[in-house]
Amino acid sequence: MNRFRATIRNSLASKVIATTLLLSFGVLFLTGSALYSRLSEGIRQGNLDTSLAEARSSFFNAQYQFLLAQGQSDLEIRDVVKDVIVTSTSAGVNQGAKSIVLMRIPNSVSLRPENIKNLYDTISTGLSTTTVPLSLREKVEQSFVVEYQYADLEYADGKKESSLFAGKRIDIPNSGTYEMYLIYSLSTQTATVDFIRSALLITGIVLTFLIGLITYLVVRQVVRPVREAARIAQQFTKGEFSQRMKIQTTDELATLGNAFNEMALSLESQISRLENLSRVQQRFVSDVSHELRTPLTTLRMASEVIYGERETFGPTTMRSTELLVAQLDRFEKLLEDLLEVSRFDAEVAVLEPVNFDFVAMVERCLEEAGARSHVGGLVLHLEPGISQIQINADIRRVERVMRNLLSNALDHADDKPIVVTIVGTSTEVAVGVRDYGPGLESALLMRVFDRFWRADPSRSRVRGGTGLGLSIALEDARLHNGELEAWGRPGQGTHFVLTLPLIAGGSISSRPLKLEPLDFVKA
Amino acid sequence: MTLVMVVDDDQDLAEMLGIVLTGAGIDVDLVSRGDQVMEIFRNNPPDLVLLDVMLPGIDGIEVCKLIRAESMVPIVMLSAKSDTHDVVRGLEAGADDYMVKPFRHASELVARIRTRLRRTNADVTALLTIRDLTIDVTAHEVSRAGKKIALTRLEFDLLVALAKEPGRVFSRDVLLGEVWGYRHSTDTRLVNVHVQRLRSKVEHDPEHPEIVMTVRGVGYKAGVSGNS
Repeated sequence: MNRFRATIRNSLASKVIATTLLLSFGVLFLTGSALYSRLSEGIRQGNLDTSLAEARSSFFNAQYQFLLAQGQSDLEIRDVVKDVIVTSTSAGVNQGAKSIVLMRIPNSVSLRPENIKNLYDTISTGLSTTTVPLSLREKVEQSFVVEYQYADLEYADGKKESSLFAGKRIDIPNSGTYEMYLIYSLSTQTATVDFIRSALLITGIVLTFLIGLITYLVVRQVVRPVREAARIAQQFTKGEFSQRMKIQTTDELATLGNAFNEMALSLESQISRLENLSRVQQRFVSDVSHELRTPLTTLRMASEVIYGERETFGPTTMRSTELLVAQLDRFEKLLEDLLEVSRFDAEVAVLEPVNFDFVAMVERCLEEAGARSHVGGLVLHLEPGISQIQINADIRRVERVMRNLLSNALDHADDKPIVVTIVGTSTEVAVGVRDYGPGLESALLMRVFDRFWRADPSRSRVRGGTGLGLSIALEDARLHNGELEAWGRPGQGTHFVLTLPLIAGGSISSRPLKLEPLDFVKA
Repeated sequence: MTLVMVVDDDQDLAEMLGIVLTGAGIDVDLVSRGDQVMEIFRNNPPDLVLLDVMLPGIDGIEVCKLIRAESMVPIVMLSAKSDTHDVVRGLEAGADDYMVKPFRHASELVARIRTRLRRTNADVTALLTIRDLTIDVTAHEVSRAGKKIALTRLEFDLLVALAKEPGRVFSRDVLLGEVWGYRHSTDTRLVNVHVQRLRSKVEHDPEHPEIVMTVRGVGYKAGVSGNS
């Protein structure tokens, strides 16, 4: 039922068809029942009129016959009774079967009590003796005209048949007053009414079906272009901009189609313009970085030659030489990072996964970053019994993430310790780098991954990072389908957690290492 | 005296390279156009070629192929691009090693050049075998059933490194240290490309190597003799 409702809600066509069917069914039902009741009423009334007219004539005839038989012998009267019964049950225009009941009114006192033995109580064959309804009998006993009532005709064998009972008092000479009933079976009438009802029902059903069909055909004409538009819009969402609507008419739907196609065209051209623009821009960044490399190489070699001779210089020249070499290093690092960023922007960065030991990699990075000689001390947490975690990933990128996290921590840890935690599961590996430096407002946490963003502009750079490190680290993590997240509180330091799938191309389903450090106590 | 041919279109860089290499006691032949290389190369064969990728005339990759076609001289490519694509292209064209500009230190360049020039494996037994392959270390020759197989110096060094300790599994990092002279590097693409090249020359079926075997997840080892 819910699915059915959902289908109707989700499809314009179904909605329109369902509404139309419901409404037309209602209208058909109302007109059908009105028609039916008028028709059946008419038939019933006509039938009643005919039957009563016939009954009246039968009763009149009977009364007339018995009047004529006044004073005749009982035998003759018996014949008259027989004759009356036969004419009453056979004659008539009503095709329905007729039955007769003749009963002496029990308390009607005869003029001649010695003749009471002459009883002419008659009942058509097979009928139950109590079939005439009591209410009708009471009416007939007190009335001089024809009384009638609809009731079930009961047979002796228990069968019932809906019938019209017409009754009148009749005086039979030498016997007394009788109730005479003529019973008209309504089976023909019922059959006719039934036929009309079923004819109406079938007509109704067929009409409803036809209306549904017509609605479907009409709705389809409207809905098809709408569906087409929706399909094309979906293609657009997927980045397929070449799709257009087919227009074969000149109606409102064609207007819709035209408007849609114009929108598509405009979107396509704008997107391609933007794409082109961004391609040109990325290309430019990449070209600039490349072009800068050759002079930078010359510069480096030249500075190295000069640096090698620095002992022979005066103190000013010597210091200048040192600064030159240091700044060239920084310049080169910045160039490297810029190039990497331009690769990510151009979406040409690719993973080159190899198998390696994650723990050994982290330890190598600690060594290279000089973390071991950090003033505040370094703690490396490893699950007991685990000395290596084999993973499949792009080692160059993972190392770079690690170096960036460590250099970030070393920059901010001041003289407090740095804690590195490695946790591995069967599907992912995580490393956390925790420092106890000045920390960060949680509102600023997302910004740490922004390019060239600095937490505290007034804070001097200790190690001269490029400002691109964490942003590149995040891209590197995401390229692995991994995640790099940051936690921080003012005065309580920061915690960066890198989570990677164990196999490159896999995905991470959990966080084996919680972002919120265990040693953090909520204020 | 050792002669190194420096092919670079950037005059200043070429001159600077000249200064550094001369300072290290190496003779330098400067060439600035790709289409001039082969003529000078034939007239005055160098001991090593330092080759820039982007060159006027013919580009570095093409020059590399031309040199490889007639000589096994060590070639070190210089590239401003560190993208995998270009590095692999250079190595596949026949370069032994590559350096990405800017180099971390000029001394590193000199060290690489020296590694490529040094007479390797003087301490090793003169004759080594891997399966049906015979390696004459002294004569610098590899042969199978009396037929010589021409290998570049680097390919030869790689093969000898594996052959002198049969059965030992060498990780790519170890090979980078022993054959290329890297102290620390994570660029194992060098090893992969050269192993492919070596296999194409010494294996019966490079798709199913028997001489240089891959040990999945670790590295490479020499196929053990008499096992076929």
